[in-house]
Amino acid sequence: MAESTGARDLTFLDPAVLARLGTMELKARTVVEGFLAGLHRSPYKGFSVEFAEYRQYIPGDDLSMLDWKVYARSDRHYVRKSEEETNVECHLLVDLSASMGYRGSAPMSKLDYGSVLAASLAFLMHRQRDATGLITFDERIAFRLPASARPGHLQTVLLALGRIEQGTRSDVARPLHQLAEALVKRSLVVLISDLLDDPEPIVKGLKHLKFRGTDVIVFQVLDPNELTFPFRGPARFRDLESQQEITAEPSEIRATYLRDLAGLTLHYDRALRGAGIDYVQLDTSQPLDFALLAYLAARSRRK
Amino acid sequence: MSFLYPAFLIAGVAIAVPIVLHLLRREVAPEVPFTAVRLLRRSPVPRRDRRRLRDLLLLAARVLALALLAAAFARPYVPSAAGAGLRVVAVDRSFSMSAPGRFERALEATRAAIAEAGAGERVAVIAFDERADVLAEPGSAADARHALQALAPGFGATRYRPGIEAALNLSPGGGRLVLVSDLTRTGWEDDQPVTVPADWAIDFRDVGDEAGNVAVAAVRREPDRLVAAIRNAGHAVFDGEVRADLEGRRVGQVRARVDPGATADVVVPVGVPAAGVLAVSIDDGGGFAADNTRYLALDPAARTRVLIVMAGGPGRPSGFFLARALEAADEAPEPAVVSMAGAEVSKLPPSGLADYGAVALLSTRGLDRPAREALGTFVRHGGGLFVAAAPDVEAALLSDALGWEPALAPAATADGVLALAATDLRHPIFEPFGALAANLGQVRFERVWRVQDGGWDVAARFDDGTPALLEREEGSGRVVLFASDVDRRWNDFPLHPSFVPFAVESIRYASGAVHAETEYTPATAPSGAGPHPGVFRLASGRLVTVNADARESSTTRMTPAEFQEMIRPGAATAAAAAPQAREAEAAQSYWRYGLLLMLAVLVGESIVGRSWS
Repeated sequence: MAESTGARDLTFLDPAVLARLGTMELKARTVVEGFLAGLHRSPYKGFSVEFAEYRQYIPGDDLSMLDWKVYARSDRHYVRKSEEETNVECHLLVDLSASMGYRGSAPMSKLDYGSVLAASLAFLMHRQRDATGLITFDERIAFRLPASARPGHLQTVLLALGRIEQGTRSDVARPLHQLAEALVKRSLVVLISDLLDDPEPIVKGLKHLKFRGTDVIVFQVLDPNELTFPFRGPARFRDLESQQEITAEPSEIRATYLRDLAGLTLHYDRALRGAGIDYVQLDTSQPLDFALLAYLAARSRRK
Repeated sequence: MSFLYPAFLIAGVAIAVPIVLHLLRREVAPEVPFTAVRLLRRSPVPRRDRRRLRDLLLLAARVLALALLAAAFARPYVPSAAGAGLRVVAVDRSFSMSAPGRFERALEATRAAIAEAGAGERVAVIAFDERADVLAEPGSAADARHALQALAPGFGATRYRPGIEAALNLSPGGGRLVLVSDLTRTGWEDDQPVTVPADWAIDFRDVGDEAGNVAVAAVRREPDRLVAAIRNAGHAVFDGEVRADLEGRRVGQVRARVDPGATADVVVPVGVPAAGVLAVSIDDGGGFAADNTRYLALDPAARTRVLIVMAGGPGRPSGFFLARALEAADEAPEPAVVSMAGAEVSKLPPSGLADYGAVALLSTRGLDRPAREALGTFVRHGGGLFVAAAPDVEAALLSDALGWEPALAPAATADGVLALAATDLRHPIFEPFGALAANLGQVRFERVWRVQDGGWDVAARFDDGTPALLEREEGSGRVVLFASDVDRRWNDFPLHPSFVPFAVESIRYASGAVHAETEYTPATAPSGAGPHPGVFRLASGRLVTVNADARESSTTRMTPAEFQEMIRPGAATAAAAAPQAREAEAAQSYWRYGLLLMLAVLVGESIVGRSWS
């Protein structure tokens, strides 16, 4: 698996930089290329044993993959590329609910951040020749793109992510159950949501997917304001989905809020990890590489 | 407290903005969109009273900051610290103050007047006689006291008006004038009451006394004797010696008796010499020292030596007719007219021109720069310069030497025959002509300089209106410019009988000999003489005497009430109030403090807003 990214230049993964880029494709390409350029080892070592083709060696490739016989004949370095035994079918589930449209002190809203994350994953999947599908939802499925590995499919996915619009209330569990029923082969499902609904139905839906033999990665996308609650002075907090209002003195409720949030996170973590589901919490002010590494780790377990 | 620009105070209505915002928003907690509201718990907003106090403090700070800003732009000042805060002490330094003990009392009164200055009150000191000098500009009392060290009785006569006017000029907006004087009546002689603005207060410190004074009021020479007028302005009979000294040597002495309040002609039996300086003196220990001696110049009127700067070279030299005319008028055995070419003048030492009373410049050819500069210095130090238009005179060189602005730029024209006409027959040059001045009209001028009369006084014109004879003061000297030739090249003037008196009077006028007085007071003494009594020889060679003003010898004094009658209260100097206010505001600069205070208030507002939020 790839090594730590701690010492890498993450300039092009920074949300503040990404927010200024134009198209979704450019954002996704920037993230993925930047991410891959920083890895010391190529993530593309074969997940299969069946030879597919030779490829020119590029720095970062595992030296064990070099074909020394070819080198002896041609005096050039080639690596052997393997055909995967089975193409993985990946489904990206992006939450469109109003709460995902929240943008506090981060340079991007949670929805934008999640969209770029989904696009980057699609880009990465496409390079790995995985079939990629996209589902966007709020309280119902808003858009669905079946998984495909066709060459032009990536553009379709990126176009859909670029045109994404914020929805209303969220109901994460519902599309999860619908998807679990619809999947007929083992797949990889990536859920991108803030998971601020009632956790039990969500966990139940995710477990339903897992029960159907689907690998699941859950990215909980949260804004720094949600993680730290930095508000000062009396305020009237209005919920973006339910429009519920609560007037409070932030300094008085900050500790309680953070404790409840930590409890919610812990609940997800325990419930999902117990079910063999990867759970990653993301801060929209932080670079995307952590999410990509988490995906690669999950993907590698499927070889 | 007043404001220089009160209109800016209207901007103070901006204070209403934070007040209105405070009233509109005081009970409303701002709405904050959020996501995880279901994780929040409703809490009462605590410490409402503290918040209200914070809000009030913030409101007060913002209102105060805006008020300070508006006030700073309105430029506040305290009027009382300006005009009313000026104390001018004017000290009489006329020679009547030299009576025994009188000036010491004056100094004492002056120090007392300075000491009476209130806190923050500026003090100025003026010394006056016929003129007023500011010894200490408005400033601290210490500076004013320090200036008294240079104060001593002089030799001038008392004149109150210059002292009062000098004080008023120090502060047009008002103040207090303390006048320290012996209140001699002659100080208002020939003077009208002075009008003092209503915002000025005048105090008098009378340091005079009933001391007597005996003076040599006048000395005149008669063919075989000397007559001295002795005035006794005291209360006791004067019975003392009247002495006559000729250049330090006693030549006569007589005892005289003069009754109080009387003036007596005392004949000093002495054979009056033809030349020399006579000093007639008495002893008067109880009176004023300056009028105990009177000088008389016995020199005959000094002849004016004239240097004619002519064009050199072969042929008939220029200046021939002028030299003959001047020599014809000079009866002295020694020639008083010297003719030199320009090149010879250039060889003279720098002070070589000082031997002459006047220079007739008929040519600038050969005059080098040092010679031209020496000529300029000669004129500025009292010499006379007669310039005749001639082909050899370069006006640009002359303008450069004398620093004339605009430069003399004549145009030589020959537009027909012109005649000369005196503009003012009372002019010193033409006055001796009397009715014969009309004869000047017979002279035919065929070529003249056309001179712009800017900077010049015109004494005569040609009949087409062109200036013909011009004059101007230059330093202590005088320049007379004749706009045509005196060598019969451009006219036939030298052939006319009127040429000789014209030449003589023009040169005499240029040299200053026409109105040459020989006796002056310290106030009227010419440059190079005075300002104390004595005998002086001027740069032009004239011997003059400077004697104390005889009017000041009087001991007649005024009462303060009589003095007050000469002071007419006028209107307050409203016209001067604006500059006075600007001056006061500039000196105080309270607006800077206002802005600093505003910044401090804003910093405080920021701290309160952050720490209590």
